[in-house]
Amino acid sequence: MLNTLLIIFGKLLSRFAKAFNLGHGSTWPGHIALKVNPDFIKDLLQNTNTKIVLVAGTNGKTTTSLMLKSILKESGKSVLHNASGANLRNGIASYLLLNTNRSGKITQDFAIFESDENTLPHLLNDISPTFLVVLNLFRDQLDRYGEVTLIAKKWEEAFEKLGKKTTLILNADDPLVASLGKNSKAQKLFFGITVDYESNITDFAVDSVQCYVCGEKLLYTKTFFSHLGIWHCPGCKLERPKPSLEEFRHYPLDGMYNKYNTHAAVLTAQKLSVDTQTIINAFKEFEPAFGRQEVIRYNGKRIQIFLSKNPTGFNESLKTICDKNAKHVMLLLNDRIPDGKDVSWIWDVGFEDTIQNFPHITVSGDRVYDLTLRLKYAEEDDISFFESLKNALSNAVSKLSKDETLYILATYSAMLEARKLLTGKKIL
Amino acid sequence: MIHKSSIINHQSLVIGWLYPSLMSTYGDRGNIICLKKRCNWRDIDVEIVLIEKETSDQQLKTIDLLFGGGAQDREQNIVIDDLKGKKAEVIKTRIEHNMPSLFVCGSPQIMGKSYEPGIGKRIEGIGIFDMETIHPGLNVPRCIGNIVAEVQWQNFFVPTTYKLPPTGYIVGFENHGGRTRLGKTAKPFAKVIKGFGNNGEDGTEGVVYKNAIGCYFHGPLLPKNPHIADYLITKALQVKYEKDITLSPLDDSLEWQAHRAIVKRLGITI
Repeated sequence: MLNTLLIIFGKLLSRFAKAFNLGHGSTWPGHIALKVNPDFIKDLLQNTNTKIVLVAGTNGKTTTSLMLKSILKESGKSVLHNASGANLRNGIASYLLLNTNRSGKITQDFAIFESDENTLPHLLNDISPTFLVVLNLFRDQLDRYGEVTLIAKKWEEAFEKLGKKTTLILNADDPLVASLGKNSKAQKLFFGITVDYESNITDFAVDSVQCYVCGEKLLYTKTFFSHLGIWHCPGCKLERPKPSLEEFRHYPLDGMYNKYNTHAAVLTAQKLSVDTQTIINAFKEFEPAFGRQEVIRYNGKRIQIFLSKNPTGFNESLKTICDKNAKHVMLLLNDRIPDGKDVSWIWDVGFEDTIQNFPHITVSGDRVYDLTLRLKYAEEDDISFFESLKNALSNAVSKLSKDETLYILATYSAMLEARKLLTGKKIL
Repeated sequence: MIHKSSIINHQSLVIGWLYPSLMSTYGDRGNIICLKKRCNWRDIDVEIVLIEKETSDQQLKTIDLLFGGGAQDREQNIVIDDLKGKKAEVIKTRIEHNMPSLFVCGSPQIMGKSYEPGIGKRIEGIGIFDMETIHPGLNVPRCIGNIVAEVQWQNFFVPTTYKLPPTGYIVGFENHGGRTRLGKTAKPFAKVIKGFGNNGEDGTEGVVYKNAIGCYFHGPLLPKNPHIADYLITKALQVKYEKDITLSPLDDSLEWQAHRAIVKRLGITI
């Protein structure tokens, strides 16, 4: 009864906020609902047949969720997905609330939620997911979350509460992620990748080369990037679990990191008995999320945006655009809350290996001088840099000839800003 | 970019980096890149020695300038276990003999007398600095944010002749749970202008002993503070070659632009 009232009130509030242009109103209703009833999410989900998929990890949550959503839709299911990026608890509560039917019930077949590192343990108190997909754990926004091993410890505690009805979809190549769920009743399935390839970009941002179980230094027979690879522990003999999925016939997006995202989505779909042809059909129609290799046409010029929010993401984006023979590159670094206030991580990006390949480099963002300085120390000093993003964009675009692409690598809020300037639309 | 120097020729430095596989939490590598490039641009050869478990004492003795970065608590324990004994003795002796050193973020904690982590046992440090650190527990907010401090160290001089005269300010970012108290014989490195510093209370930031600096600034301290980088390089050359050294100037306009952007952003007028 309480929840029904909260739902009616929340929906009204959201309409009111939209009508009077008081922000997008996306998390208010959830915020209030959780204040009044801390078990709001739990209660709402208790009496539904909706299967919940939680997607966690540092990089790739949105892309993986979208891939899975497109597969499920292709197989005729109805799917909720909190795509607006408000993936904290308030956002999830609001999203559920606004997507209930007239009698206040969730009726969709599936609900996919993205969860950041810190929210996951709290969410697992509210939700018992059918699937919990864990993609990776990189060093991201340490200023917000503290240390990687501390997060893993909190996760491990939360995972212990999971029951048999939950299936964990884990990345076998990430030693920390692969070691999760040791004391959990949940079923475990692993994905990985297999390529005849060794990382040629020097990854300095190594996060978890120590065995999570015994503390011994892990050994790798192959590294794909950062701390992902074929690993084993010489101490306690723990090793990379054999993945159920290492290869797939069709990849909707470029880059090795998108192979992982694809495999995570496909493995989940396979567990739900979706056939391969349906998955491929979904992928053929796949459109990336905003800012994730999204292509924007601007004044007849082609611009592609790569959200790159930490050393691993940046290295992988640089590698991917190198393979595309990029000539025009723009790098944007902001230091707002969604980006992480600490920009020290730019010194862990292997610019030395790639930056000389790009003839035209433009830099902007809140921390334009930090990033330009970083490039100077990578022996690259032919850089156009601007405090104003608008000036940076018009300068870079003016240098493009008709069939060339400007590749923008940007942190989260910088990506949103650039996108807004290019499309004239605000998304969040 | 090539900066040639006619004053200094064929000098060389060995820079040691403490446990990069265990203590490189967040862009610490920026300091090594900065030192190396600023030497190379002046024709000073640099060899980087990565000090790991396997490193011999003999190798450790060849180091002219030592750097240590930040570690997570877990890794910090592994480091101190390896460091204690022979390695610690070599480092202490070298620092007594004026080897310039820079310890940022977590490493000063283990160079001090003791460190009590948020979880787990108290660690006895190697005692270069007279200071103790206590982590008040995981529920107490960490000291996080941009920081500006002013160097208060008598030994410190601003090396070489800069086109843009720097202040004695240093800028950076801090992120630490531990609170450090300096002992009676310890001298602070700097005075906090904006930020938390050693403990958020007494206004001190970091610690110095002989030519060794410990500070809570984390990650890439040196690129935006080229005066500290050049101070360390100058001292290392002076100690090694036993003569006065004047570094040839570099074009540091971008460095100072990045430096001033932080000062300005924190609302400080120089």
